Amino acid sequence: MKKVIIIRYAELFLKGKNRGFFERAFEVNIKRALKDVDHELIRQSGRYLVVGFDEELIEEILERLKKVFGIHTMSVAYETEANMDSIFATAKLVCKTTGSFKVVSHRGDKKFPLTSIEISRELGGRLLSVYHDLTVDVHEPSFTVYVDIREGGKALVFGEMIEGANGMPVGTAGRGLLLISGGIDSPVAGHMMAKRGMTLDCLHFHSYPYTNMQAKEKVVDLATTLAKYSCGTNLYTVSVTHIQEEIHKKCRPELMITLLRRFMFRIAERHALQISAQCLITGESLGQVASQTIEGMTSSNSVVEKLPVLRPLVGFDKNEIIERSVKIGTYETSILPYEDCCTVFLPDFPAIRPKIKDILAEEKKLDVEGLIKTAFESMEKIEL
Amino acid sequence: MIYLDNAATTKPNENAIKQAEKYLFENFYNPSAMYKEGHEVQSELKTARLNLLSCVANESDFEVVFTSCGTESDNQAIFSFARRGNAVTTEGEHSAVYASFLELKNKGIAQPRFAPLLSDGRVDVEKLVQLVDEKTSFVSVIHVNNETGAINDVNEIAKLVKKKNPRVIFHSDGVQAFGKIPFRLCKEIDLYSVSAHKIGGLKGVGALIKRKSLTLPPYIFGGGQENGRRSGTENVFGIMQFVSATKEKFLTLKEDFNRLAEYKKFLIDGLDKSVYTVLSGENSTPYITSISAVGLRGEILLHILNDKGLIVGTGSACSSNSKNRFSRVILACGIDEKTADGVIRISFSSQTTKEETEKALTLLNECGRELKARMS
Repeated sequence: MKKVIIIRYAELFLKGKNRGFFERAFEVNIKRALKDVDHELIRQSGRYLVVGFDEELIEEILERLKKVFGIHTMSVAYETEANMDSIFATAKLVCKTTGSFKVVSHRGDKKFPLTSIEISRELGGRLLSVYHDLTVDVHEPSFTVYVDIREGGKALVFGEMIEGANGMPVGTAGRGLLLISGGIDSPVAGHMMAKRGMTLDCLHFHSYPYTNMQAKEKVVDLATTLAKYSCGTNLYTVSVTHIQEEIHKKCRPELMITLLRRFMFRIAERHALQISAQCLITGESLGQVASQTIEGMTSSNSVVEKLPVLRPLVGFDKNEIIERSVKIGTYETSILPYEDCCTVFLPDFPAIRPKIKDILAEEKKLDVEGLIKTAFESMEKIEL
Repeated sequence: MIYLDNAATTKPNENAIKQAEKYLFENFYNPSAMYKEGHEVQSELKTARLNLLSCVANESDFEVVFTSCGTESDNQAIFSFARRGNAVTTEGEHSAVYASFLELKNKGIAQPRFAPLLSDGRVDVEKLVQLVDEKTSFVSVIHVNNETGAINDVNEIAKLVKKKNPRVIFHSDGVQAFGKIPFRLCKEIDLYSVSAHKIGGLKGVGALIKRKSLTLPPYIFGGGQENGRRSGTENVFGIMQFVSATKEKFLTLKEDFNRLAEYKKFLIDGLDKSVYTVLSGENSTPYITSISAVGLRGEILLHILNDKGLIVGTGSACSSNSKNRFSRVILACGIDEKTADGVIRISFSSQTTKEETEKALTLLNECGRELKARMS
């Protein structure tokens, strides 16, 4: 008996006249997720069917679809002949033998001789006659058997509803540049924005030779995981070694991180504008570390002139971020012990509430434009 | 590119690969098979076994069990014989032994005891012997330390240990010593681990040399290969290449030893002392020189040298910013964290030339001075 996967939308219904735009993006994303798997995607009213795939691959297909934003739920359904004997035989495959249940039927083909209610009643009765430990509960059943009569003499029968990633299709809410470190937070921040439909590009700052190849590889791995949700991404890497060395030589050590972050935000904004990204995204969470105080954020923000800086995790506790990180599959990589760019010249006592007057005085000692130019010369791009 | 991280691995000996090539495509048969082709491979393995053994030990007292690597040899020795009471080892062991000893404790098999090191990286023999008592079942002492190059006189140590408790099983990890320093096993040593890829062999081959009278309980069970001591079809090509490489290595062992000792002295004498401190002591192998760019970080220097065409090793793990990044062995020598942070390991092979050593010295001095200036 052939299996098909039913995909149901999440919020797409809400989008009125723009629905076509959202559906096209949604379809593109599903096809991208299944690009190396033979299949056919059929659009029906309010849902999609994936058909014609190798059933050995069904778990792999479901895993991939679970990462596609915009999917509300999915079901693996059996396709059978649209007559009550075949439907009953198939329903036995999805029906549990104990517990409370109900049958929900939908008659897409109005020529089918029974109404939806009659189908449910008939099938429920037959199931009760073979599974004596079943009871009917139409209000709070422990499981449900669904029957869907389609045109063309076919019916779909299924039981389980698999939770999808929800959110909006990636590609429907603009483009953002995620500042990605090797830590736990930034991939989670990227994931949250992708969930709202944003296309992501990633920017990573490294300090080779003060950091190593493994640290960079770690970021590539994180971005690769993120790319499974964000329908691909471009990872840009930029060296800030010379900037750290220059700050180390000329400026007050407690302002190292504050000054460096201002360089990072300047570079990020300029790069974002070059690639037509409409915002910067960071994994900052208020008060988490010395540079993520409101004063620290103000100091970084003040060098970003044209774009908004989105901080989706700003009000999250670390535990909440870790929970999400585990769920999206980046946590194990994030905790690998390779240093990212901030730690080598880390001062013993970083400024927690840096004053803008002090920062500007220290920055005057540096050739800001020259250092930014050198940073851009080191830029590399990895398509993921 | 100049490669001076030979303590990590060496370039495979091409000549030995050619000699073993027939075991890939012609004599590829399973040595346990009953037909004559299989039997032929078995008997050639037997000859190879004796050839390997004759390099370091008496054939009448010792025999060879082939394994997949030095770590497996160490694990087999430890988990086969450290079965009760306490087990004594040193603070200067390779993690193959060190981590296995910790596991003895975790599994409640035996109580591990660790003997301290002297400042040059050798074990404090007096203190090691003090740790041995009537309840000691097993003692393991590394022959040449992989980080400092310190040589322990394991024959002498084994004699002292056996004098105190003759029932102890004595093991030594000889991975960095085998084929590199003049040595033959004395009868007080029961088990000796060696590895192929440190002397021009391939990765994936090792051996445990054992005293014949010792019954070695299997660690890996299965088809009963290696006389039931280590099941799994033999890596015939790898073993044959290992034995060829070993024979070649032993032919020039003393000559290489003396030549590399000169290179090591040249290197040490020429290092800019305003940047580097030498950690390897007088009693260290010529193959390994441990130095520290005090106040800098070894791994950063490694990257800079790498970009300039010199590959070396570090003493510190390329990992976190925590104290875990310091080498356990370097700290056990009583070296402070600042010095430990700057450790670089330069390790020669018999292929290393004077010219390479000269270039390496120039790069070490140039890059060390450059990094010092950048970080000051």
